[in-house]
Amino acid sequence: MTGKSFSLKTLIGVILLLIIVFLVIAAPVFTDYTPDAATSERFQKFSITNPFGTDRYGRDIFCRTLYGGRTTLVSCFLALGMALLIGTLFGILTGMRSYSLFDTIFMRIIDVLMAFPFMVFAMVIAALWGSGLINLLVAVIAVWWVPFARLARSIVLQIKNDSSVLAARVLGASSWHIGFYELLPKMIGPLLVLSTFELGTLILSISALSFLGMGALPPTPEWGSMLSDGRAHFFQHPHILFGPALFIVLTVFALNLIGEGLRDAMDPYEHIDL
Amino acid sequence: MRNYSPVALSVEQLKISYVQNKNTFVVLDEISFSLKKGEILTLLGESGSGKSTCGKALIGVLPPSANVESGKMRIGNTTYIVLSKSKIDWKQIRGSKIGMIHQDAQLALNPVKTIRVHFQETLKNRHSCTKEDIEKVSCDMLRLLNFDDPEQILNAYPFELSGGMCQRVYIAMILCLEPEVLIADEPTSALDVVSQKEVLNLLREIQKKLKLSILLITHDIGVVHEISDRVIVLSEGHIVEEGNVQDILENPNELYTKQLISARDLTTFIRSQSSAYAKPLLQIDRLEKSFQKGSQYKKILNQLDLVLHQGETMGILGFSGCGKSTLAKCVMGLETADHGTILYNGENISYSHRKKRKHICKSMQIVFQDARASLNPRRSALEIVQEPLNYLKIGTAKERQEKALFYLKNVGIDGDALKRCPPQLSTGQCQRIAIARALVVEPDILICDEAVSALDMILQKQILELLLDLQKSIGFAYIMISHDIRVIRHTCEKVAIMDEGSFVDILPTDQLTAQTENTYIRNLLSSELYAAEIS
Repeated sequence: MTGKSFSLKTLIGVILLLIIVFLVIAAPVFTDYTPDAATSERFQKFSITNPFGTDRYGRDIFCRTLYGGRTTLVSCFLALGMALLIGTLFGILTGMRSYSLFDTIFMRIIDVLMAFPFMVFAMVIAALWGSGLINLLVAVIAVWWVPFARLARSIVLQIKNDSSVLAARVLGASSWHIGFYELLPKMIGPLLVLSTFELGTLILSISALSFLGMGALPPTPEWGSMLSDGRAHFFQHPHILFGPALFIVLTVFALNLIGEGLRDAMDPYEHIDL
Repeated sequence: MRNYSPVALSVEQLKISYVQNKNTFVVLDEISFSLKKGEILTLLGESGSGKSTCGKALIGVLPPSANVESGKMRIGNTTYIVLSKSKIDWKQIRGSKIGMIHQDAQLALNPVKTIRVHFQETLKNRHSCTKEDIEKVSCDMLRLLNFDDPEQILNAYPFELSGGMCQRVYIAMILCLEPEVLIADEPTSALDVVSQKEVLNLLREIQKKLKLSILLITHDIGVVHEISDRVIVLSEGHIVEEGNVQDILENPNELYTKQLISARDLTTFIRSQSSAYAKPLLQIDRLEKSFQKGSQYKKILNQLDLVLHQGETMGILGFSGCGKSTLAKCVMGLETADHGTILYNGENISYSHRKKRKHICKSMQIVFQDARASLNPRRSALEIVQEPLNYLKIGTAKERQEKALFYLKNVGIDGDALKRCPPQLSTGQCQRIAIARALVVEPDILICDEAVSALDMILQKQILELLLDLQKSIGFAYIMISHDIRVIRHTCEKVAIMDEGSFVDILPTDQLTAQTENTYIRNLLSSELYAAEIS
């Protein structure tokens, strides 16, 4: 990090995300209900006992939103972590062996994955192995590592002839050592920034796939599947979409604020007022 | 002395500080000076003396961490501009009043635009002239800067031109705006000796023709001697001495100025002499290397032969782009040669795979030009020097630390500096750490690839002294790669002169005189700045 102070918007993003994570983790503290049990009448409007109302089975939507956050956030962070790991690893390997046969084959695989629409790909996997959260995660990770690999490779190509990397080579450092100690630290900044932006889209995509019925299976609460559930009753009872939609919007908003802040803080060039 | 009357630029009470980790460092402490019309005034000082900060402040391109506490400037007879004010209309000043040329013009020009587009963009905002006018003005200016075929230059991209040509193009662009004052911040530091002399002579000529006032910023006394009229010596933000160039160079009053001038003089160096019976360590035989450029191959190294004996100091001298660094990379295994052999102690290492060459790392080491960039910025000095011992699994952890401490002490790094990381160390300290890191594996051969070129004179002398002392005590052989004749002349026993990938001659450095028959060598020698001390 360049030592520049984080901006106000990063701070707002971090606080917002922390509040969401806290609400989700400490769900039993904020609600007395369980996500699967009916608590009162169906389609109740906002009230003190049911802050976001109830759904078509009379389940408390506030409770389901908090518990649903656990599934959504855990699956998103898990998918992102795996995609980041796989992408960075292949990015470094292909960058270090640039223009070799290995590099060419991997880059073409990446091209194919990038050309293939993500939703179609996920549907193919769902058709082959059935729906469910695990299959959804496999589909997401199989596509999501690509931007990380591209970025990591481009950074390696840019810095692999820097004198610090050349110095490590002539001092006898192994390729493994060069990859992890010389190259990786220099790409953490950009990768982290890309991660925060990708996490926003990832939440939306996982929610969209759950909405299409490919994610968490009922009755497990999940933000996307809750939206999907409420779809049929949207025109009569629009309030039932409010809870999960609000949390999705706030999480994506917080992550984008953090991403933008990180990008500004890690920009190596100081801005001159021209 | 010429009689300069009106003042082109006067600066008063300029005080600038930098804020770093909540600490304030004063970089310029209330300096005042004036530049007369038609004069070349030099700000001379070692790195960190505040000279570049002064130049940047006068054209409003200081980084945000800099704070102008006080100071005002006046261009010609206009009213004073208070520099500490936050809102200054720089658009009215930059270009038309003050122009600035930078160290590396190749970086200052956009590589995806032709020179013509550069001229058009520069001129369109300043003059309401048509395309034809711009074409005429740029052609005239390029002709003034000694380009025979301006049309060809206008169609070229910056990467198709040499460093010297780019600097000339950049100067032409700035001069098109007809500035009253030109600030030249180390305009020739990134150039080889021949281009350096060419650009300096040209600046002098242009200055006379256009009656320009130039504020030159440099650390090189050679440059000062070549073109300057008056000089201001800066040290730690204060003006130490001011006066006419001849007086300052011949009779400096202040100790600091004397140190600066004596730092250029390397005649006190005693070169180590290798034994006549020393066995050959490194033999290079008919080495060739080409690089592909589009569909064509460009030969960078062509049939090179070289023998380096134990304890010998060999200089490799040549202009930039002649293949010196590629040769070093081939020897170190960072590039693979196309043809020819490199024998180390009789073993062919030219094609060896990196894993197979690992044992060579102990025997050959290299020090790069930009030491700071060659060190891992996240590690402390002590960790950096231990790194090669860890890679090569030499000794136990305790032995590694002791060895690293020994070599760090040898290069003058101890105490607090051991725990600091490169960003917290000075350039000189970084270069010392790089040398310690190369020596800790106790190599037989040390290659210094322009190891002192980026340093100011005082640091350069210190590092060269250190290298020669270490060689005397440890006894390794050197290959000193440089474009600076002065450095090679005073540190090496033999010199291999390189031109376009092949050796023109390999001769003892004592024979490197202007009386030589070889025109290339004569050319090289004649381009040396401020050669008075060696004649």
